[in-house]
Amino acid sequence: MAERIAITGMGVVSPCGLKKETFWANLKRGESFVDEVTRFDASTYPSRIAGQVHELDHYSHLSSRLIKKIDVFSHMALVATEQALKDSGIDLENTDKNKVGVFMGNALGGWLFAETELRDLYLEGREGISPYMASAWFPAASQGQVTIYYGFKGYSKTIVADKASSALALWYASRTIADGKNEYVVAGGMEAPITPYALLCINSRGGLSKNNLNPSRAYKPYDLYRDGFAVGEGSGMVVLEKESHAQRRNAPIYGFIKGVGFSSDGYHYSQYRPDSSSLEYAIEDCLAQARWNKRNVHYICLDAEASEMGDYLETQAIKNVFGKQIETISMSAPKSMFGNLLGAQTALDLIATIFSMKHSTVLPTINYEMTDPNCDLDYTPNKAKERKIKKALIIARGRGGINVVLAIEKE
Amino acid sequence: MALKEEVINLICTTLEVKEGEVKEDEKLYDSIGVDSTEVVELVVALKKQFQVPLETNDVTKFSTPLEIVETIEKKK
Repeated sequence: MAERIAITGMGVVSPCGLKKETFWANLKRGESFVDEVTRFDASTYPSRIAGQVHELDHYSHLSSRLIKKIDVFSHMALVATEQALKDSGIDLENTDKNKVGVFMGNALGGWLFAETELRDLYLEGREGISPYMASAWFPAASQGQVTIYYGFKGYSKTIVADKASSALALWYASRTIADGKNEYVVAGGMEAPITPYALLCINSRGGLSKNNLNPSRAYKPYDLYRDGFAVGEGSGMVVLEKESHAQRRNAPIYGFIKGVGFSSDGYHYSQYRPDSSSLEYAIEDCLAQARWNKRNVHYICLDAEASEMGDYLETQAIKNVFGKQIETISMSAPKSMFGNLLGAQTALDLIATIFSMKHSTVLPTINYEMTDPNCDLDYTPNKAKERKIKKALIIARGRGGINVVLAIEKE
Repeated sequence: MALKEEVINLICTTLEVKEGEVKEDEKLYDSIGVDSTEVVELVVALKKQFQVPLETNDVTKFSTPLEIVETIEKKK
Protein backbone atom coordinates (compact mmCIF):
# COMPACT_ATOMS: atom_id res chain seq x y z
CA MET A 1 0.00 0.00 0.00
CA ALA A 2 1.50 3.30 -1.11
CA GLU A 3 0.24 5.47 1.68
CA ARG A 4 -0.58 4.47 5.22
CA ILE A 5 -4.18 4.34 6.31
CA ALA A 6 -4.69 6.24 9.53
CA ILE A 7 -7.14 5.44 12.29
CA THR A 8 -8.59 8.76 13.39
CA GLY A 9 -11.67 7.94 15.42
CA MET A 10 -12.84 5.11 17.68
CA GLY A 11 -16.18 4.04 19.10
CA VAL A 12 -16.92 1.15 21.46
CA VAL A 13 -20.01 -0.65 22.68
CA SER A 14 -18.72 -3.54 24.74
CA PRO A 15 -19.46 -5.64 27.82
CA CYS A 16 -16.77 -3.68 29.67
CA GLY A 17 -17.75 -0.20 28.65
CA LEU A 18 -19.73 1.89 26.23
CA LYS A 19 -17.07 4.48 25.65
CA LYS A 20 -13.52 3.92 24.60
CA GLU A 21 -12.06 5.41 27.79
CA THR A 22 -14.20 3.16 30.00
CA PHE A 23 -13.34 0.17 27.82
CA TRP A 24 -9.64 0.81 28.31
CA ALA A 25 -9.83 1.58 32.03
CA ASN A 26 -11.70 -1.68 32.65
CA LEU A 27 -9.39 -3.79 30.49
CA LYS A 28 -6.34 -2.47 32.26
CA ARG A 29 -7.64 -3.79 35.57
CA GLY A 30 -7.67 -7.33 34.23
CA GLU A 31 -11.15 -8.24 35.47
CA SER A 32 -13.75 -10.41 33.80
CA PHE A 33 -16.95 -9.00 32.35
CA VAL A 34 -18.37 -12.39 31.51
CA ASP A 35 -21.44 -13.26 33.53
CA GLU A 36 -24.57 -15.37 33.55
CA VAL A 37 -27.15 -14.77 30.83
CA THR A 38 -30.26 -13.52 32.62
CA ARG A 39 -32.20 -11.55 30.01
CA PHE A 40 -34.07 -14.71 29.00
CA ASP A 41 -34.36 -18.19 30.43
CA ALA A 42 -31.17 -19.89 29.33
CA SER A 43 -31.19 -22.42 32.16
CA THR A 44 -31.26 -25.41 29.80
CA TYR A 45 -28.47 -24.17 27.54
CA PRO A 46 -25.19 -26.06 27.86
CA SER A 47 -23.36 -22.71 27.91
CA ARG A 48 -25.28 -19.82 29.47
CA ILE A 49 -22.59 -17.26 30.13
CA ALA A 50 -21.58 -14.28 28.02
CA GLY A 51 -20.10 -10.81 27.89
CA GLN A 52 -23.23 -8.66 27.80
CA VAL A 53 -23.97 -5.01 27.13
CA HIS A 54 -26.35 -3.82 29.81
CA GLU A 55 -26.67 -0.07 29.33
CA LEU A 56 -27.09 0.54 25.62
CA ASP A 57 -30.18 2.74 25.94
CA HIS A 58 -28.43 5.19 28.27
CA TYR A 59 -25.91 6.07 25.60
CA SER A 60 -28.24 6.20 22.63
CA HIS A 61 -29.66 9.30 21.05
CA LEU A 62 -31.71 7.34 18.56
CA SER A 63 -35.44 7.96 18.32
CA SER A 64 -37.90 5.29 19.40
CA ARG A 65 -39.28 5.52 15.84
CA LEU A 66 -35.96 4.23 14.52
CA ILE A 67 -35.16 1.79 17.33
CA LYS A 68 -38.34 -0.20 16.76
CA LYS A 69 -37.33 -0.76 13.12
CA ILE A 70 -33.88 -2.16 13.79
CA ASP A 71 -32.27 -5.06 15.59
CA VAL A 72 -30.06 -4.44 18.59
CA PHE A 73 -26.95 -5.20 16.51
CA SER A 74 -27.72 -2.18 14.33
CA HIS A 75 -28.43 -0.13 17.43
CA MET A 76 -24.98 -1.01 18.76
CA ALA A 77 -23.40 -0.20 15.41
CA LEU A 78 -25.11 3.20 15.28
CA VAL A 79 -23.95 4.08 18.80
CA ALA A 80 -20.34 2.99 18.12
CA THR A 81 -20.37 4.84 14.79
CA GLU A 82 -21.62 8.02 16.42
CA GLN A 83 -18.78 7.86 18.94
CA ALA A 84 -16.16 7.17 16.27
CA LEU A 85 -17.31 9.99 14.00
CA LYS A 86 -17.41 12.45 16.89
CA ASP A 87 -13.98 11.30 18.03
CA SER A 88 -12.52 11.81 14.56
CA GLY A 89 -13.75 15.40 14.39
CA ILE A 90 -14.92 15.01 10.78
CA ASP A 91 -16.88 17.99 9.55
CA LEU A 92 -19.72 15.99 8.07
CA GLU A 93 -21.51 19.09 6.80
CA ASN A 94 -18.63 19.89 4.48
CA THR A 95 -17.70 16.35 3.48
CA ASP A 96 -18.56 14.76 0.14
CA LYS A 97 -20.83 11.93 1.29
CA ASN A 98 -20.20 10.13 -2.00
CA LYS A 99 -16.71 9.48 -0.66
CA VAL A 100 -17.67 8.13 2.76
CA GLY A 101 -18.02 4.36 2.92
CA VAL A 102 -19.07 1.91 5.60
CA PHE A 103 -17.39 -1.49 5.97
CA MET A 104 -18.64 -3.82 8.65
CA GLY A 105 -18.12 -7.33 9.86
CA ASN A 106 -20.90 -9.49 11.23
CA ALA A 107 -21.35 -13.22 11.61
CA LEU A 108 -24.95 -13.83 12.63
CA GLY A 109 -27.31 -11.00 11.74
CA GLY A 110 -30.05 -9.61 13.96
CA TRP A 111 -31.67 -12.59 15.58
CA LEU A 112 -33.56 -10.90 18.38
CA PHE A 113 -35.69 -9.13 15.80
CA ALA A 114 -35.93 -12.18 13.57
CA GLU A 115 -36.90 -14.74 16.17
CA THR A 116 -39.46 -12.44 17.77
CA GLU A 117 -41.12 -11.77 14.45
CA LEU A 118 -41.03 -15.39 13.34
CA ARG A 119 -42.83 -16.32 16.54
CA ASP A 120 -45.48 -13.71 15.71
CA LEU A 121 -45.74 -15.06 12.17
CA TYR A 122 -46.61 -18.50 13.44
CA LEU A 123 -48.92 -17.26 16.18
CA GLU A 124 -50.74 -14.49 14.30
CA GLY A 125 -50.22 -15.25 10.65
CA ARG A 126 -48.96 -13.02 7.86
CA GLU A 127 -50.07 -9.76 9.41
CA GLY A 128 -48.50 -10.53 12.75
CA ILE A 129 -45.04 -10.00 11.37
CA SER A 130 -43.42 -6.59 11.39
CA PRO A 131 -42.81 -5.13 7.94
CA TYR A 132 -39.35 -4.13 9.24
CA MET A 133 -38.36 -7.77 9.55
CA ALA A 134 -37.10 -7.82 5.97
CA SER A 135 -34.71 -4.94 6.55
CA ALA A 136 -33.76 -5.58 10.18
CA TRP A 137 -32.31 -9.05 10.51
CA PHE A 138 -29.76 -9.66 7.76
CA PRO A 139 -26.03 -9.11 8.39
CA ALA A 140 -25.77 -6.03 6.14
CA ALA A 141 -28.70 -4.30 7.89
CA SER A 142 -26.39 -2.35 10.21
CA GLN A 143 -24.29 -1.08 7.33
CA GLY A 144 -27.49 0.05 5.65
CA GLN A 145 -28.77 1.79 8.76
CA VAL A 146 -25.51 3.68 9.26
CA THR A 147 -25.40 4.82 5.64
CA ILE A 148 -29.04 5.94 5.78
CA TYR A 149 -28.64 7.68 9.15
CA TYR A 150 -25.69 9.77 7.96
CA GLY A 151 -26.47 9.88 4.23
CA PHE A 152 -23.18 8.18 3.36
CA LYS A 153 -23.13 7.15 -0.28
CA GLY A 154 -19.61 5.83 -0.74
CA TYR A 155 -18.64 2.27 -1.61
CA SER A 156 -19.71 0.10 1.31
CA LYS A 157 -19.90 -3.58 2.20
CA THR A 158 -20.59 -6.06 4.98
CA ILE A 159 -18.31 -9.04 5.36
CA VAL A 160 -19.53 -12.31 6.85
CA ALA A 161 -16.60 -14.52 7.81
CA ASP A 162 -17.31 -15.77 11.33
CA LYS A 163 -14.74 -14.45 13.83
CA ALA A 164 -12.63 -12.92 11.06
CA SER A 165 -15.46 -10.74 9.69
CA SER A 166 -14.36 -7.37 11.06
CA ALA A 167 -10.69 -8.09 10.34
CA LEU A 168 -11.61 -8.43 6.69
CA ALA A 169 -13.94 -5.41 6.86
CA LEU A 170 -11.10 -3.27 8.22
CA TRP A 171 -8.80 -4.41 5.46
CA TYR A 172 -11.24 -3.97 2.58
CA ALA A 173 -12.09 -0.54 3.99
CA SER A 174 -8.39 0.37 3.89
CA ARG A 175 -8.19 -0.76 0.27
CA THR A 176 -11.05 1.48 -0.82
CA ILE A 177 -9.23 4.46 0.70
CA ALA A 178 -5.90 3.49 -0.85
CA ASP A 179 -7.61 3.08 -4.22
CA GLY A 180 -9.24 6.50 -3.91
CA LYS A 181 -12.80 5.12 -3.93
CA ASN A 182 -13.44 6.55 -0.46
CA GLU A 183 -12.10 9.53 1.42
CA TYR A 184 -13.28 8.24 4.78
CA VAL A 185 -14.56 4.88 5.88
CA VAL A 186 -16.37 3.93 9.05
CA ALA A 187 -15.15 0.37 9.59
CA GLY A 188 -15.57 -2.28 12.24
CA GLY A 189 -18.19 -4.75 13.25
CA MET A 190 -21.18 -5.49 15.43
CA GLU A 191 -22.66 -8.66 16.89
CA ALA A 192 -25.66 -9.38 19.10
CA PRO A 193 -25.64 -13.12 19.75
CA ILE A 194 -27.17 -13.10 23.24
CA THR A 195 -30.70 -13.96 22.15
CA PRO A 196 -32.59 -17.22 22.74
CA TYR A 197 -32.11 -18.57 19.22
CA ALA A 198 -28.67 -17.17 18.43
CA LEU A 199 -27.16 -18.42 21.69
CA LEU A 200 -28.71 -21.81 21.03
CA CYS A 201 -27.11 -21.87 17.57
CA ILE A 202 -23.72 -20.97 18.98
CA ASN A 203 -24.15 -23.70 21.57
CA SER A 204 -24.88 -26.19 18.79
CA ARG A 205 -21.85 -24.92 16.89
CA GLY A 206 -19.70 -25.91 19.85
CA GLY A 207 -16.61 -24.30 21.27
CA LEU A 208 -18.25 -22.41 24.16
CA SER A 209 -17.17 -22.81 27.76
CA LYS A 210 -19.70 -24.68 29.90
CA ASN A 211 -18.29 -23.41 33.17
CA ASN A 212 -21.67 -21.86 34.06
CA LEU A 213 -21.03 -21.98 37.79
CA ASN A 214 -18.09 -19.65 37.52
CA PRO A 215 -18.64 -17.31 34.55
CA SER A 216 -15.85 -14.88 35.35
CA ARG A 217 -13.31 -17.72 35.40
CA ALA A 218 -14.71 -19.58 32.40
CA TYR A 219 -12.84 -18.11 29.42
CA LYS A 220 -9.24 -19.20 30.03
CA PRO A 221 -7.36 -19.53 26.75
CA TYR A 222 -4.04 -21.41 26.71
CA ASP A 223 -4.70 -22.80 30.18
CA LEU A 224 -4.48 -26.56 30.56
CA TYR A 225 -8.06 -26.68 31.89
CA ARG A 226 -9.75 -24.44 29.32
CA ASP A 227 -13.05 -25.68 27.96
CA GLY A 228 -13.99 -23.13 25.31
CA PHE A 229 -14.56 -19.43 24.85
CA ALA A 230 -17.30 -17.14 26.15
CA VAL A 231 -19.29 -15.31 23.53
CA GLY A 232 -19.82 -11.55 23.78
CA GLU A 233 -21.93 -8.84 22.21
CA GLY A 234 -21.15 -5.30 21.13
CA SER A 235 -19.65 -3.19 18.42
CA GLY A 236 -16.38 -1.48 17.62
CA MET A 237 -16.02 1.17 14.92
CA VAL A 238 -13.08 3.18 13.70
CA VAL A 239 -12.75 6.00 11.20
CA LEU A 240 -10.11 5.45 8.52
CA GLU A 241 -8.55 7.92 6.09
CA LYS A 242 -5.24 8.50 4.34
CA GLU A 243 -2.40 9.66 6.56
CA SER A 244 -1.88 12.83 4.50
CA HIS A 245 -5.61 13.56 4.65
CA ALA A 246 -5.64 13.20 8.43
CA GLN A 247 -2.58 15.43 8.75
CA ARG A 248 -4.13 18.13 6.57
CA ARG A 249 -7.15 18.43 8.83
CA ASN A 250 -5.13 18.03 12.03
CA ALA A 251 -7.06 14.92 13.01
CA PRO A 252 -5.95 12.76 15.94
CA ILE A 253 -4.00 9.81 14.51
CA TYR A 254 -4.21 6.80 16.79
CA GLY A 255 -2.33 4.39 14.57
CA PHE A 256 -2.11 2.92 11.09
CA ILE A 257 -3.29 -0.19 9.34
CA LYS A 258 -0.16 -1.32 7.61
CA GLY A 259 -0.93 -4.69 6.10
CA VAL A 260 -2.94 -7.85 6.10
CA GLY A 261 -2.32 -11.52 5.56
CA PHE A 262 -4.94 -14.03 4.47
CA SER A 263 -5.24 -17.73 4.08
CA SER A 264 -7.89 -20.40 4.12
CA ASP A 265 -7.38 -23.84 5.60
CA GLY A 266 -9.20 -25.51 2.72
CA TYR A 267 -9.73 -28.48 4.95
CA HIS A 268 -13.13 -28.79 6.70
CA TYR A 269 -16.32 -26.76 7.04
CA SER A 270 -15.97 -26.37 10.79
CA GLN A 271 -12.60 -27.68 11.91
CA TYR A 272 -9.15 -26.25 11.54
CA ARG A 273 -6.49 -27.94 9.44
CA PRO A 274 -4.65 -29.99 12.07
CA ASP A 275 -1.32 -28.34 11.34
CA SER A 276 -0.43 -24.69 11.66
CA SER A 277 0.72 -24.10 8.07
CA SER A 278 -2.28 -21.99 6.97
CA LEU A 279 -2.04 -19.61 9.87
CA GLU A 280 1.72 -19.39 9.42
CA TYR A 281 1.14 -18.43 5.80
CA ALA A 282 -1.24 -15.64 6.84
CA ILE A 283 1.25 -14.26 9.39
CA GLU A 284 4.11 -14.35 6.86
CA ASP A 285 1.87 -12.80 4.21
CA CYS A 286 0.99 -9.98 6.60
CA LEU A 287 4.62 -9.32 7.57
CA ALA A 288 5.60 -9.24 3.89
CA GLN A 289 2.87 -6.81 2.97
CA ALA A 290 3.67 -4.54 5.90
CA ARG A 291 7.35 -4.88 4.96
CA TRP A 292 8.18 -5.62 8.56
CA ASN A 293 11.12 -7.58 9.82
CA LYS A 294 10.12 -10.22 12.36
CA ARG A 295 12.44 -8.58 14.83
CA ASN A 296 10.33 -5.43 14.84
CA VAL A 297 7.04 -6.93 16.03
CA HIS A 298 6.42 -5.95 19.65
CA TYR A 299 2.99 -7.37 20.36
CA ILE A 300 0.51 -9.96 19.08
CA CYS A 301 -3.17 -9.74 19.95
CA LEU A 302 -4.19 -13.37 19.95
CA ASP A 303 -7.22 -15.18 18.56
CA ALA A 304 -7.54 -17.27 21.74
CA GLU A 305 -10.11 -19.88 20.83
CA ALA A 306 -9.63 -21.60 24.18
CA SER A 307 -9.80 -25.06 22.62
CA GLU A 308 -7.02 -27.60 22.79
CA MET A 309 -6.55 -27.63 19.02
CA GLY A 310 -7.11 -23.90 18.41
CA ASP A 311 -4.69 -22.74 21.11
CA TYR A 312 -2.08 -25.28 20.08
CA LEU A 313 -2.21 -24.37 16.39
CA GLU A 314 -2.00 -20.66 17.12
CA THR A 315 0.92 -21.18 19.48
CA GLN A 316 2.66 -23.43 16.99
CA ALA A 317 2.18 -21.00 14.09
CA ILE A 318 3.67 -18.13 16.09
CA LYS A 319 6.61 -20.26 17.19
CA ASN A 320 7.30 -21.48 13.67
CA VAL A 321 7.12 -18.01 12.13
CA PHE A 322 9.11 -16.12 14.74
CA GLY A 323 11.53 -18.76 15.98
CA LYS A 324 13.91 -17.37 18.59
CA GLN A 325 12.52 -13.87 18.08
CA ILE A 326 9.47 -14.97 20.03
CA GLU A 327 11.23 -14.09 23.26
CA THR A 328 11.15 -10.41 22.33
CA ILE A 329 7.44 -10.34 21.47
CA SER A 330 4.66 -9.83 23.98
CA MET A 331 1.27 -11.37 23.36
CA SER A 332 -2.10 -11.62 25.03
CA ALA A 333 -5.83 -12.11 24.58
CA PRO A 334 -7.70 -9.15 26.09
CA LYS A 335 -10.93 -10.74 24.88
CA SER A 336 -10.57 -13.25 27.73
CA MET A 337 -12.04 -10.42 29.84
CA PHE A 338 -15.22 -9.77 27.85
CA GLY A 339 -15.77 -12.67 25.48
CA ASN A 340 -15.36 -13.14 21.77
CA LEU A 341 -17.67 -10.83 19.86
CA LEU A 342 -17.48 -13.01 16.74
CA GLY A 343 -17.96 -10.75 13.71
CA ALA A 344 -17.14 -7.65 15.75
CA GLN A 345 -14.13 -9.06 17.59
CA THR A 346 -11.21 -7.76 15.55
CA ALA A 347 -12.59 -4.23 15.72
CA LEU A 348 -12.38 -4.41 19.53
CA ASP A 349 -8.98 -6.09 19.34
CA LEU A 350 -7.83 -3.18 17.19
CA ILE A 351 -9.09 -0.55 19.62
CA ALA A 352 -7.57 -2.41 22.61
CA THR A 353 -4.25 -2.68 20.73
CA ILE A 354 -4.25 1.02 19.90
CA PHE A 355 -4.74 1.85 23.58
CA SER A 356 -1.99 -0.60 24.46
CA MET A 357 0.32 1.29 22.10
CA LYS A 358 -0.71 4.65 23.47
CA HIS A 359 -0.22 3.67 27.10
CA SER A 360 2.73 1.28 26.59
CA THR A 361 0.76 -1.45 28.29
CA VAL A 362 0.30 -5.09 27.36
CA LEU A 363 -3.16 -6.18 28.45
CA PRO A 364 -3.38 -9.54 30.18
CA THR A 365 -4.85 -12.91 29.29
CA ILE A 366 -6.94 -13.55 32.36
CA ASN A 367 -7.87 -16.78 34.16
CA TYR A 368 -4.53 -18.34 33.28
CA GLU A 369 -3.52 -20.79 36.00
CA MET A 370 -2.09 -24.03 34.71
CA THR A 371 0.45 -24.32 31.90
CA ASP A 372 -0.44 -26.58 29.01
CA PRO A 373 2.79 -28.22 27.80
CA ASN A 374 1.61 -27.69 24.21
CA CYS A 375 1.00 -23.99 24.78
CA ASP A 376 4.20 -22.80 26.34
CA LEU A 377 4.47 -19.14 25.34
CA ASP A 378 4.22 -16.14 27.61
CA TYR A 379 0.61 -15.06 27.09
CA THR A 380 0.86 -12.23 29.67
CA PRO A 381 -1.06 -14.10 32.34
CA ASN A 382 -3.56 -12.28 34.55
CA LYS A 383 -1.82 -8.94 34.95
CA ALA A 384 -1.10 -6.10 32.54
CA LYS A 385 2.55 -5.22 32.06
CA GLU A 386 4.42 -2.19 30.85
CA ARG A 387 6.00 -2.35 27.43
CA LYS A 388 6.51 0.02 24.53
CA ILE A 389 4.56 -1.19 21.51
CA LYS A 390 5.05 0.34 18.10
CA LYS A 391 4.21 -2.55 15.83
CA ALA A 392 1.53 -5.14 16.50
CA LEU A 393 -0.21 -8.02 14.81
CA ILE A 394 -3.82 -9.01 15.39
CA ILE A 395 -4.81 -12.60 14.64
CA ALA A 396 -8.38 -13.56 13.78
CA ARG A 397 -9.51 -17.05 12.83
CA GLY A 398 -12.94 -17.82 11.49
CA ARG A 399 -14.61 -21.18 11.70
CA GLY A 400 -13.37 -23.74 9.26
CA GLY A 401 -10.06 -21.96 8.87
CA ILE A 402 -10.43 -18.37 7.68
CA ASN A 403 -7.13 -16.86 8.77
CA VAL A 404 -6.64 -13.11 8.82
CA VAL A 405 -3.74 -11.21 10.36
CA LEU A 406 -3.63 -7.41 10.54
CA ALA A 407 -0.50 -5.31 10.99
CA ILE A 408 -0.98 -2.16 13.05
CA GLU A 409 1.63 0.47 13.80
CA LYS A 410 1.70 3.41 16.12
CA GLU A 411 3.73 5.97 14.20
CA MET B 1 -63.66 10.25 19.81
CA ALA B 2 -64.23 11.29 16.20
CA LEU B 3 -62.82 9.00 13.51
CA LYS B 4 -60.39 11.69 12.38
CA GLU B 5 -58.82 11.99 15.85
CA GLU B 6 -58.72 8.23 16.21
CA VAL B 7 -56.86 7.88 12.90
CA ILE B 8 -54.37 10.61 13.78
CA ASN B 9 -53.80 9.05 17.20
CA LEU B 10 -53.22 5.66 15.64
CA ILE B 11 -50.73 7.12 13.16
CA CYS B 12 -48.80 8.72 16.04
CA THR B 13 -48.73 5.65 18.26
CA THR B 14 -48.03 3.17 15.46
CA LEU B 15 -45.22 5.15 13.89
CA GLU B 16 -43.98 6.60 17.21
CA VAL B 17 -44.17 10.22 16.16
CA LYS B 18 -45.12 13.09 18.42
CA GLU B 19 -48.64 14.43 18.60
CA GLY B 20 -48.86 17.57 16.57
CA GLU B 21 -46.44 16.42 13.91
CA VAL B 22 -49.24 14.82 11.91
CA LYS B 23 -51.48 17.36 10.19
CA GLU B 24 -54.94 16.28 9.05
CA ASP B 25 -54.64 17.73 5.54
CA GLU B 26 -50.93 17.20 4.95
CA LYS B 27 -49.47 14.19 3.11
CA LEU B 28 -47.80 11.81 5.59
CA TYR B 29 -44.62 11.98 3.56
CA ASP B 30 -44.52 15.77 3.88
CA SER B 31 -45.43 15.97 7.56
CA ILE B 32 -43.46 13.09 9.08
CA GLY B 33 -41.39 11.74 6.16
CA VAL B 34 -43.15 8.40 6.28
CA ASP B 35 -41.57 5.59 4.25
CA SER B 36 -43.18 2.71 2.39
CA THR B 37 -42.50 0.16 5.13
CA GLU B 38 -44.14 2.41 7.70
CA VAL B 39 -47.17 2.59 5.41
CA VAL B 40 -47.43 -1.21 5.48
CA GLU B 41 -47.27 -1.13 9.28
CA LEU B 42 -49.92 1.59 9.36
CA VAL B 43 -52.30 -0.29 7.05
CA VAL B 44 -52.10 -3.37 9.29
CA ALA B 45 -52.81 -1.23 12.36
CA LEU B 46 -55.75 0.53 10.66
CA LYS B 47 -57.25 -2.81 9.59
CA LYS B 48 -56.99 -4.15 13.13
CA GLN B 49 -58.38 -1.08 14.83
CA PHE B 50 -61.24 -0.28 12.45
CA GLN B 51 -61.99 -3.78 11.18
CA VAL B 52 -62.06 -2.70 7.55
CA PRO B 53 -60.69 -4.67 4.56
CA LEU B 54 -57.95 -2.23 3.57
CA GLU B 55 -55.49 -3.17 0.87
CA THR B 56 -51.87 -2.05 1.07
CA ASN B 57 -52.32 0.40 -1.79
CA ASP B 58 -55.40 2.03 -0.20
CA VAL B 59 -52.98 4.12 1.84
CA THR B 60 -49.75 5.54 0.42
CA LYS B 61 -46.92 7.79 1.55
CA PHE B 62 -48.82 10.61 -0.08
CA SER B 63 -52.14 10.06 1.69
CA THR B 64 -53.37 12.66 4.17
CA PRO B 65 -55.11 11.62 7.41
CA LEU B 66 -58.36 13.04 6.01
CA GLU B 67 -58.04 10.85 2.92
CA ILE B 68 -57.40 7.83 5.15
CA VAL B 69 -60.57 8.65 7.12
CA GLU B 70 -62.49 8.88 3.84
CA THR B 71 -61.17 5.50 2.70
CA ILE B 72 -62.11 3.85 6.00
CA GLU B 73 -65.62 5.28 5.83
CA LYS B 74 -66.05 3.98 2.27
CA LYS B 75 -64.87 0.51 3.22
CA LYS B 76 -67.00 0.18 6.32
